[in-house]
Amino acid sequence: MSRPGLTTACAAMLRRDLTLAWRRRGDIAMPVLYALIVTMLFPFALGPEDTLLERIAGGVVLVTILLAMLLALDTMFSSDIEDGSLEQLVLAPQPLALMLAMKILAHWLTTALPLIVISPLLAGMLHLPTSVMPVLMLALLLSTPMLSLLGAILVALTAGTRRSGMLLALMLLPLCVPVVIFAAGAVAASQQGLPWLAPIAWLGAALVLLLVLAPLACAAALRIALDA
Amino acid sequence: MSAALTAVPDHVILLETRALGFYRQDEPVFASLNFRLRAGELGLIEGDNGSGKTTLMRILAGLLHVDEGELYWRGQPLQREHCLGEVLFLGHQLGLKADLSPSENLQVAVGLHGYRAQTTLSAALAEVGLSGYEDEPVRRLSAGQKKRAALARLVLLPAKLWLLDEPYANLDRTGIALVNRLLEEHLARDGAALVTSHGTVSFHGGEPQRIRMHA
Amino acid sequence: MSKWIPLWLHKLSSPPTFYRFAGALRPWLLALALLTGAIALYGGLVLAPADYQQGDAYRIIFIHVPSAWMSLFIYGVMGFAAFLALVWRIKLAEVVAMTSAPIGAAFTFITLVTGSLWGKPMWGTWWTWDARLTSELVLLFLYLGVIGLYHAFEDRRQGARAAAFLALIGIINVPIVHFSVNWWNTLHQGSTIRLLGPSTIAPGMLWPLLTMMLATKFYYLASLFGRVRTDLLDLESGKDWVRTIATGSTLQ
Repeated sequence: MSRPGLTTACAAMLRRDLTLAWRRRGDIAMPVLYALIVTMLFPFALGPEDTLLERIAGGVVLVTILLAMLLALDTMFSSDIEDGSLEQLVLAPQPLALMLAMKILAHWLTTALPLIVISPLLAGMLHLPTSVMPVLMLALLLSTPMLSLLGAILVALTAGTRRSGMLLALMLLPLCVPVVIFAAGAVAASQQGLPWLAPIAWLGAALVLLLVLAPLACAAALRIALDA
Repeated sequence: MSAALTAVPDHVILLETRALGFYRQDEPVFASLNFRLRAGELGLIEGDNGSGKTTLMRILAGLLHVDEGELYWRGQPLQREHCLGEVLFLGHQLGLKADLSPSENLQVAVGLHGYRAQTTLSAALAEVGLSGYEDEPVRRLSAGQKKRAALARLVLLPAKLWLLDEPYANLDRTGIALVNRLLEEHLARDGAALVTSHGTVSFHGGEPQRIRMHA
Repeated sequence: MSKWIPLWLHKLSSPPTFYRFAGALRPWLLALALLTGAIALYGGLVLAPADYQQGDAYRIIFIHVPSAWMSLFIYGVMGFAAFLALVWRIKLAEVVAMTSAPIGAAFTFITLVTGSLWGKPMWGTWWTWDARLTSELVLLFLYLGVIGLYHAFEDRRQGARAAAFLALIGIINVPIVHFSVNWWNTLHQGSTIRLLGPSTIAPGMLWPLLTMMLATKFYYLASLFGRVRTDLLDLESGKDWVRTIATGSTLQ
């Protein structure tokens, strides 16, 4: 009876969550559709004036993707709590934080990545210049994992409660303010022809920090949530 | 680590509780619970509904915080790190993903815990009577079959102590016999088990230790 | 519990002891709060000279600034209590953290309202995206998140621990928000208005301000003690000492 290595355990977790997402692949399309519809509403609300849309495009796409991710966050642990899988995970002889990091990674791959892939389409609908697109995608690539990581901590905290949708928004959005500011700052700077590397570097540094701390915090939060 | 385990003498006390108590909203659920569980021993936790059997199981599994009293694992104060991988917990919620098949579910468990010596996944599923259902999504199985799929974890995974909360629920007569057989084999391997049940259980492999829950 | 906590603190943190201690102190604290508050208001509204730039409108700082200070101070107290509650599972710390949240939220709300009341005559607008005001707004949301999470749980002690965890995350967030909004303002070249107009303040204005800060502290303690007493009675309703009080015996 030798305990499996970390790689084996991580692979098992990742494969499990990706398989589960694939069995319900219709759900993957939902945040994407939501983001498309919300983006479409802006020209209707503000008028089809190109210069106005161009100016707000980066910010609108970022906030839309943030909200789409928020909608999908709830599902991160809910089914695992209902069927008792989470208890089994907590009791498994593996570092809980690492296993949760795998769950967060799987969640990011299935919800945020599709959104990043369609982000040029969303930005294009709002006439964002093509030259800014790479910066937008880079900003999204760095900021969406942070939202997943921060979100995971809060979802874990609300895991012991029944009504959590609005509460999750109330808790998550204040924490997201800095992420949105720097991601949108990078896009705006690039659009104005200013150097955009500094905010991207800040995002990168914050992401590295969160990658280390958030799974640990998430594990601690889950233990609180299960302790009832 | 496994070498150290086999060197431990048979009569060793695996788990011991001293004056264990638990409160919910300051109302005692149970109090001053003392018992010792040795290797090769079965403990039968008895009590009425609401007497705290499930709570006790969750405390012993390390899911709930100890309010009062002490827990010892192999003579040492119990800490999660010491008994990780040595304890298997089967609760009311079976821990099976409905969208995955029994064999996929077991693969995840094996990925986290590893195999017990001389077992294979298909043999474990055959032993619990799920041959032919290996690749059926768990959601299409009956309640009893789901329970059997969860029991396959006991066959497949290595562990010293089993914590089984209501293992007989939803099972037919052959299922109950299956649980008893698994328990007997586990005890014969010098494993230990704690089983809750609010009904009477006829267990054939020797007299189990009866642990009575009271507030 | 822990060896590092002094014995007197350990004794004080037992609910019946704290209940009596808080009950004895609370009237004095309330009286002190009213007295210092009245002195500060008289000093601020009557004695202090009018500002040479802002006229009488600046006098709102005697409410605004102490409230802003309290909003952060109470968050600090809540964070400290939250830390104690999570690490040592001290019931009193849980109660202090959770009862501080609504008081802190109230002070934050007063800060925001007086800030925008002050902003209208000064800057001609009710709201500006200045780093301090924005941080204050985020602080309000953090308080509301803590309160909301606490009440979302059926088990109150579990809710308190979860909300305490959130409060600790929020402590890290506040300076980050402040820093990022500052950075954002330089990017957008927006209006950067300093809330405390002149950087040097006349002594005639300073002493009422400091007195009001004392008054808000006393008020906070009085309000906190009252709330903690109620919550302790509720949480410990099964215990003997509460029964003794409820049946009319004099424990106080």
